[in-house]
Amino acid sequence: MDEIRLTVDGREVKVKKGATVLEAAQAAGVYIPTLCHDPDLEPYGGCRLCVVEIEKMRGLPTSCTTPATEGMVVHTDTPAANDVRRAAVELLCADHYSECLTCPQNQRCELQKVAAYLGITRLPYPKTTRTFPVDDSNPFFDLDRNRCILCARCVRACNEITCVGAIDLAYRGYQSKVATFGDQLMISSICKSCGECVAHCPTGALAPKESRRPTREVLTTCPYCGVGCQMSLGIRGHEIVSVRGKREDSPNKGWLCVKGRYGIGEFVSHPDRLTAPLVRRDGELKKVSWDEALDLVARKLASYQKGEVAVITSAKCTNEENYVFQKLARAVLGTNNVDHCARL
Amino acid sequence: MTFEEIKDRALTEWAALENTDKPRIIVGAATCGRASGALHVLDRVKAELERHQLDAIIMQTGCIGLCYAEPLLDIVKPGRPRICYSNVTPEIAAHLIEDYLIKDNPQPDLALGSMGEGSVAGISNFFELPMLKPQVRIILRNCGFIDPEKLDHYIARGGYGGLVKTLKMTPEGVIQEIKKSGLRGRGGAGFPTGTKWELCRQSPGKIKYIVCNADEGDPGAFMNRSLIEGDPHSVLEGMLIGAYAIGATEGYVYIRAEYPLAIERLKLALQQATEYGFIGDNILGSGFSFHIKIKEGAGAFVCGEETALMASIEGKRGMPRPRPPFPAQAGLWGKPTNINNTETWAAVAAILHNSAEWFACYGSARSKGTKTFSLVGKVNKPQLIEVPIGITLKEIIYDIGDGVAGGKRLKGVQTGGPSGGCIPASRLDLSVDYESLTEAGSIMGSGGMVVLDEDTCMVDFARYFISFTQSESCGKCVMCRLGTKQIMDTLGKIARGQGTPEDIALLEDLGKQVKIGSLCGLGQTAPNPVLSSLRYFRNEYEEHIKKHHCAAAVCSGLVRAPCSHTCPAGIDVPRYIRFIEAGKPDESVAVIREKIPFPSVCGYVCVHPCETKCRRGQLDEAVGIRMLKRFAAEFGNGLWKQGVKAAPPTGKQVAVVGSGPAGLTAAYYLARLGHSVTVFEALPEPGGMMKVGIPDYRLPKDMLGAEIAEIENAGVKIKTNTRIENPESLLAQGYQAVFLAVGAHRGLKLGIPGEDSPQVIDCVSFLREVNLGHTVAVGDKVAVIGGGNAAIDAARTALRLGAAEVTMIYRRTRAEMPASDEEIEDALAEGVQVLFLSAPTKIAQQGKQVQLECVHMALGDVDTSGRRRPVAVKGSEFSLVFDTVIAAIGQQPEVPGELTTGGGNTIKVDLDTLATGKAGIFAGGDAVTGPASVIEAIAAGRQAAISIDKSLGGKGEIDEKLAPPEGELKPLEEAGEKRRPVMPVLPLGQRLCSFATVELGLTAELAAEEARRCLRCDLEEHE
Repeated sequence: MDEIRLTVDGREVKVKKGATVLEAAQAAGVYIPTLCHDPDLEPYGGCRLCVVEIEKMRGLPTSCTTPATEGMVVHTDTPAANDVRRAAVELLCADHYSECLTCPQNQRCELQKVAAYLGITRLPYPKTTRTFPVDDSNPFFDLDRNRCILCARCVRACNEITCVGAIDLAYRGYQSKVATFGDQLMISSICKSCGECVAHCPTGALAPKESRRPTREVLTTCPYCGVGCQMSLGIRGHEIVSVRGKREDSPNKGWLCVKGRYGIGEFVSHPDRLTAPLVRRDGELKKVSWDEALDLVARKLASYQKGEVAVITSAKCTNEENYVFQKLARAVLGTNNVDHCARL
Repeated sequence: MTFEEIKDRALTEWAALENTDKPRIIVGAATCGRASGALHVLDRVKAELERHQLDAIIMQTGCIGLCYAEPLLDIVKPGRPRICYSNVTPEIAAHLIEDYLIKDNPQPDLALGSMGEGSVAGISNFFELPMLKPQVRIILRNCGFIDPEKLDHYIARGGYGGLVKTLKMTPEGVIQEIKKSGLRGRGGAGFPTGTKWELCRQSPGKIKYIVCNADEGDPGAFMNRSLIEGDPHSVLEGMLIGAYAIGATEGYVYIRAEYPLAIERLKLALQQATEYGFIGDNILGSGFSFHIKIKEGAGAFVCGEETALMASIEGKRGMPRPRPPFPAQAGLWGKPTNINNTETWAAVAAILHNSAEWFACYGSARSKGTKTFSLVGKVNKPQLIEVPIGITLKEIIYDIGDGVAGGKRLKGVQTGGPSGGCIPASRLDLSVDYESLTEAGSIMGSGGMVVLDEDTCMVDFARYFISFTQSESCGKCVMCRLGTKQIMDTLGKIARGQGTPEDIALLEDLGKQVKIGSLCGLGQTAPNPVLSSLRYFRNEYEEHIKKHHCAAAVCSGLVRAPCSHTCPAGIDVPRYIRFIEAGKPDESVAVIREKIPFPSVCGYVCVHPCETKCRRGQLDEAVGIRMLKRFAAEFGNGLWKQGVKAAPPTGKQVAVVGSGPAGLTAAYYLARLGHSVTVFEALPEPGGMMKVGIPDYRLPKDMLGAEIAEIENAGVKIKTNTRIENPESLLAQGYQAVFLAVGAHRGLKLGIPGEDSPQVIDCVSFLREVNLGHTVAVGDKVAVIGGGNAAIDAARTALRLGAAEVTMIYRRTRAEMPASDEEIEDALAEGVQVLFLSAPTKIAQQGKQVQLECVHMALGDVDTSGRRRPVAVKGSEFSLVFDTVIAAIGQQPEVPGELTTGGGNTIKVDLDTLATGKAGIFAGGDAVTGPASVIEAIAAGRQAAISIDKSLGGKGEIDEKLAPPEGELKPLEEAGEKRRPVMPVLPLGQRLCSFATVELGLTAELAAEEARRCLRCDLEEHE
């Protein structure tokens, strides 16, 4: 039997063996607030929001870390659990910048969402915020610790998804913070700028420098390499202002590299970008139509002997494109001089 | 070699050591001994032996536990017991070698005790000493007895016998043995060890680990360090047994890098045990293999938590993770893992070597065996102790620890370090076991035990621990990281005097949420010190918040100078002392008068609580504040009058009943505020106890008269010989408010047969008669029953009335006597005899004399006041004949009218306003508190004046600015050690013939010199 049955808030639910109580609750359609939980990452148990009461278990276990077991009876909306949730969010809010309007994550912030869910409208505690300087050394994103809730999703994304480990939690207690090795600027670290940390940040602590929001999204394939990563481009007028991966889509399951995540918008609308083929005439490059350019190339290729031609293709091409091109080289042009830029 | 051969060799070596014909010198050289200079002693011993060309065996051992007595040096001469010498310096060591080794004089005065067969005259048996008698050494069985660097010593005393036995058993059998022993985890939580092992054994998996948790990090705890330094093999043997039972092949000792000596000895032990074949592959030919690695921790407190500890071993940041899965299912590197505390492992070795039944005969019903504790803090004899579980806190603190240091009052004891709680002195009978400590709001913990005295402020104390846990929180979970921060900030606010009553509710609520909501044990227990101190010492929090008062004078944000903070009337002590230093007694007395109208009276007789908290007292001796006040009052003039501003008449009338310090102080300030005040006094003269309680030789009555005259000058009318029977009648007469300050003038009865004899008088009546100038004949032989200040006054007065022999009879000893030390000294000097540990049982008339039958007492159990209860010794009856017997065992108020009264017939009031249950009637002073002091009565008078003025529509502002501003204030230059001057007194020969003042007062030079000793705490910069 790899299915187990349990009851969450009176609803019976079946989940696969190995599922957590939180996953079971979600399967049963029961909302449990979370902050440090992320389906892409290993369970953490830090934010304390997903605490629940489970019959025959002591205290308030975190549903994100507790494996669901057969016959378990879970209560998610109890006074004790809600008291802890409320205290946790109140503590976080007291330690958090209040300037939501100017936060890049405004209205998308998960802290806002849970505070609203719990109905927190005033804080019983005095503010404990400090002023951290914003680390804006990375060209693509900023690390603003004033907006950090230390859920460690960035740290875990960097370790578990990209296996880079550029950041970790440093120091202890109230002094704890997300830091690079030796507490240096982000740019001085081994960070690859892939932005997985940014993508997993629930607040505005890690945010792209481009903060404008798109008006619509377009699903496309990343043009940078042959992997074929799927991405949603956020369009605003004629500009691409955001890029995000979608975890449902293969092959990249939402992950992106620095080029795909941060290299699209600028390159697409860059004035230097070639949008039509150029042909040199009288020593000068002139814009021509594709038909004209291709005719010229075909004509010229036909004029060479087999041994006089070599073909080199681009890593931006897909496997299929590369396959077709080497076929052209061998079968049509009659040359085995085929190479690829990724081999260099 | 087989184990038997190894053991035989070790036993031969040990016997040779025990029976050597050379003297042996043993030095306790664990970290604690070294810190107190053991290695210097050792060097000197070597040098002296060489100088005298003596052949002796020198041995270093671990710590035997007597921290307060270190360095310890023991000498064993052939055929003699081992003699233990305490607090040995290199010089003492040199003397001992010469005196004992050469001249055969064992110097019993320097010896602590002797061990082993035989005895030495004048030296008691070491194990019969009060601090050792209640102890049982199982865990620490070898500490102080073997050289921890010699494996053969350990083997000779039965070491690795448990392992050998284990290897012949089945793993399940070993687990059953541990279960039967009732051993519970000594890390603090007390989970049954056998059950824990069983879970791990049953967990599927080929590779399993065991871990020894030696990450001891509680402030004030050093049990594990001492154990490893003194007997490292006991821990390794325990681990081997555990590994065999569980089926583990690899183990780790996680020990903090701050324990270099322990690590060094552990590494050596590991190497030795490997060489002997106890650790490694195919151990002692049994086919069982086990390897141990040492992992040095970087000193994070949270790494004592098992999941954080495992993360740290794995090379990750030491952060805990939620359970399940439990380490027994998935621990180190995801494999089944069993973690036990250092002490638990050492206990395992002892259990297997002896038996489960043997272990289980120690301890209580649910907690078996013994537990080690670091007994530290404000205790006379701080030590590392090992006691059977179930012993009471009282036995630990008073029998083993020898009570509270410096004669201070015990406030409580913190067990379990920052994760534990504070147990108040009132619960000293608590049994030290897992369940009782938890029920009392604390935990057993790993064994830190910090004794707190009256100088500990509970707010400050809670703040210290929460700031520790806050800075050691790993930061992973919100409740611990931010919850402890808010708690710490709130406590800081309260300690600065900025707290609000809501803050207490916030602390309680947030504390509860942090306990329930935190991820690991660190956060789940972090609020304990706060919650337990709120449970037992809430009044201290409230005092900080409502009165901005820190009774221990500790919270620097509230306490400008401890002396003025402690003064019930809040006199600005450092300022008036500076004026004395500047040669300005007139200005000085003006400072005193800003708070009280009785500078002289207080200069002569104040009980000076200020001096008990004077910081100079921590350096050498408290500043003589009272003697300086008397100097100011004696030499100061009327400069203060220039600053007095008379308020316009309010037309309100106030009646004050009683003209003691409380009544007259209230009357004075109410008159200054413009009210018309009349004081009613039952006796023919005003002054209350200042007049009729305190004898003239302590307080000259012209001084008192002059200060009362100033009060009358302020407009107060005093009607003597007017007893008020019903205070409500005064309201009917048109007084808008009545202040009852009737004092406590009724002497308590002895409660023994025959006390109605005309030869028996109570102390209050006796002193009143004498002070009012009536003739009192006491005869030749006078007995005074009691040990308080009033008893001393009565005894010394009786001497001055011509008694030839005055005997005080007190049921406890000098140490417990409530009278002030100065008074006792003076009485003894004047010839008063004191029969300590004696109590009267019956009085029989014998003509014009009485026969007082008494019984000797012995000190029994400690009561909640921290004093030992006197108990009658059967068959010790004796009797004495006296002309007069004065009963001085206490006083009570005589309350007029119909007012609610409490214990000791005192009037019940609202402590914030002094209002009684009846509108318009207030009460204060001894009538409310029971017999107290002049300064407390003055403070009550001030409080009454403020409260009554407010009730009459005023603002209650009674503080006056009477002294001119000070000049430029300089902080004190470096203070060298210097004691206070001796107060010049009347020669003994001149004292008994009259009631002339005994204390003669300071000269201007002496006063200035004494004033210069003040550390000027008030000028320090505070947070």
